[in-house]
Amino acid sequence: MSVVPQQVIDFLKTSAPFDQLNDDEMTALAKQANLIYLTDDNKSSLLKENAGRLFLIQNGQFSVKDSGQSERHLSEGDYFGYHALLDKVDYQLEVTVDKPGLVYCFTANAFEQACSYPAIADFFHGSRTDALQNQAVVDSNSMWLYKPVHEVIDHAPVQASEDVTIQQAAQIMSENKVSSLLITREDKLVGIVTDRDLRNRVVAKGTELSLPVSAIMTEGPAMIHQYRTMFDAMSMMSERNIHHLPVIDRHSRQPMGMITASDVVRHQRGNVLYIIGELAKADNLYELTRLSWQMPHYFASHAKRPGDFDIAGKVLSQATDIMTRKLIHFFQREQGAEPMKYSWVVYGSQAREDQTMGSDQDNGLLMERTPNESEARYFAEMAEYVCNGLAKCGIKLCDGNIMASNPELRLSIEEAQAEAREWVRQPTPMAIMHFNIFLDARCAAGDLDLFRRMQLARGPLLKQKMFLAALARHNNDIGIPLSVFQKFVYEKGYEQKDVIDLKVKAIAIINNLARIYALANGLAMPSTLARLAALPSGSGLSTKDAQNLRDIWLFLNRLRWRHQLTNNVTDNRVSVSELSSIERHQLKAAFKAIDRAQQGAVMNFSGGMS
Amino acid sequence: MFAKLKSWLNGTPALPEGWAEKLIRDTPLLAVDLELTSLDIAEAKVTSIGWVEGGDNSINIERCGYHVIRTSGDLAQSPVIHGLTEEALTEGMHIRDVLAELVPFAETHLWLCHNAALDLGILKRVFNDTGIVCPDIVVLDTLKVAVYQLKKHYDVLPSNSANLSVCRQRMGLPAAPAHNALDDAMATMQLWFAQNQALNRAKNIAIGDLMHTQAVSCKKMEKS
Repeated sequence: MSVVPQQVIDFLKTSAPFDQLNDDEMTALAKQANLIYLTDDNKSSLLKENAGRLFLIQNGQFSVKDSGQSERHLSEGDYFGYHALLDKVDYQLEVTVDKPGLVYCFTANAFEQACSYPAIADFFHGSRTDALQNQAVVDSNSMWLYKPVHEVIDHAPVQASEDVTIQQAAQIMSENKVSSLLITREDKLVGIVTDRDLRNRVVAKGTELSLPVSAIMTEGPAMIHQYRTMFDAMSMMSERNIHHLPVIDRHSRQPMGMITASDVVRHQRGNVLYIIGELAKADNLYELTRLSWQMPHYFASHAKRPGDFDIAGKVLSQATDIMTRKLIHFFQREQGAEPMKYSWVVYGSQAREDQTMGSDQDNGLLMERTPNESEARYFAEMAEYVCNGLAKCGIKLCDGNIMASNPELRLSIEEAQAEAREWVRQPTPMAIMHFNIFLDARCAAGDLDLFRRMQLARGPLLKQKMFLAALARHNNDIGIPLSVFQKFVYEKGYEQKDVIDLKVKAIAIINNLARIYALANGLAMPSTLARLAALPSGSGLSTKDAQNLRDIWLFLNRLRWRHQLTNNVTDNRVSVSELSSIERHQLKAAFKAIDRAQQGAVMNFSGGMS
Repeated sequence: MFAKLKSWLNGTPALPEGWAEKLIRDTPLLAVDLELTSLDIAEAKVTSIGWVEGGDNSINIERCGYHVIRTSGDLAQSPVIHGLTEEALTEGMHIRDVLAELVPFAETHLWLCHNAALDLGILKRVFNDTGIVCPDIVVLDTLKVAVYQLKKHYDVLPSNSANLSVCRQRMGLPAAPAHNALDDAMATMQLWFAQNQALNRAKNIAIGDLMHTQAVSCKKMEKS
């Protein structure tokens, strides 16, 4: 009797991508494996015996060269030998045992069988390039409208067979207090009768009430199956100008429910886009703060899927913009219009539109010219009012005092240019830490042209080679959290032992990279994804690398949003044990790709000097 | 000759002809574990037997064996510990059939047990009870290897320092589920690989070279 020890199955169940196999397939895979204890003494004979197999490390540390690529340092959960299997090339396998340990060796046959699963094949193909195997962009869509309709319909549809009389149909409708009735033939949907049909086709024409309802129904009505999205339903309804849309089962075509125009309105109430609309209607500070404080709740209950998280930062930033404009409006209603042109400039995450729940406010004021005393007082009071107002709305005051209420951040356009010249003149590491945040800027309120003038004026300054070299070197000082053996390096001093600050250790690095390439290419937009998308050819970053960074950015952003919403926290310290096995592999791949991009930027901008 | 004399002084039969010279790396291995209703050799009933075949630092996962033994009577705490229900035990295999599967390994394989005195003591009793003839078994006891290693560091061993999971942990092996005969056999085999690495940096170690650890012995299966 051949059986597989539980510990083998337990280990494979935590090993992406094999964790996707069912129990029988997992057992079949395990039976085609040897488990070896690989040491420096026995490696030559053991690797020879297991030549042409796929290796999966259970414990120990190994330095492996298994393809034309450079040596890789591997430890638990890592694979090697798949290059040869995928390429059908007999690459020389060189292993240095840094710490002996257990290694599973799967036969080529087992590997091929497993690769009949596209997800498993993709995993190994992707592993070759450290490409991120996620659906980042494919499944990224605006969040709320992508709810499937079956999640929205909440009761069985009111229906009648096509041979009931018109009068009976009307009675059913009034008993059930509905404005439409689904008509079926052998349980399948064939038509619909609405209040309007009763008015237009029965009462107005004096139709006989004892006729079958099929005589007055709309045959073959528009319908939607349960797995389509609310967005599909809404576009179908507006395109056809209908207020009732039957939902049917995809296979049996039996009616499952009905989406009505009022459902759409009701659904939008549970929609953060709706709350943005409401924010725009707020007429005083009290209403604005009351609505703003509902935002975390709306996010927690409506952002469920990866695609939702992709635009959550954008929605939050838009909401902060609206709050800002509202507050300025409230201030001016009391204190009168501005004495000169100004721009309310936002920096950092709000500028990039990647705010999270923990983001504090970063803003400043740009003025057309140096103000006189009363003008200065006006702007000081306005800034004070807006910054405090934002704090009341839940956007924390900035610890670093990067706020328009700080007089140093209310600059005339000349002063702003002088400041940029100063940055470029002396980009010391300390100085970069201080001004980095101002390099991501966006005009959220006030005069957009004024802001554009300032950007145009300082663009050439910020393109200077020495300056970019300093930025690239500075960015290279942040190390990705992986050890030499590709193990995660965790933050110290927290209760949970396995946390990584995804913002500091990864997302900020990508933001820095996108900023450096954007400045070098004179791109004015602040958003990281927009910058990566807009880089021209010859920018120094290939389209493929830019896309890879975008995917990684989206992936990391999803992880931190999910972390914040599921744990109800505002930090970015994601615990590795919160991640699935595949996510851990993806995270490692992401870190490695970020590391390479950092090196690449140093090569491009500081001639390899780091 | 010296080894023979020493093992005679230790009160165990010498290794059968040819075993002392066999290189460990060339010897097929069989890790065996029994789950029992008690730790009393005279009384205990076997509820399940698991084994794993291996060789030079390698385990062939396809060649693992595990049988629940048909048992009746008082199971004491055994079902609680080993997860075997009374129903599974009454539907299990007859121990005679399981023993018959094991007999062929006696002459060819070096057996591995964690606490061989218990497992092979019980096996000897059930071989005799069932009247099945089994040749002498050469066994390597990973518990004794652990004790040998520990005694280099301690005069008095810390309590529990030689149980299977603690030994594995000390050798840097991953945690494994305990108290299932097959998983414990697998865990024992892995432990030996790690112990072997720690004991012998040199590669061509013969079975006889391990006599000084007192971990290798030959167990008579016939009633003496």
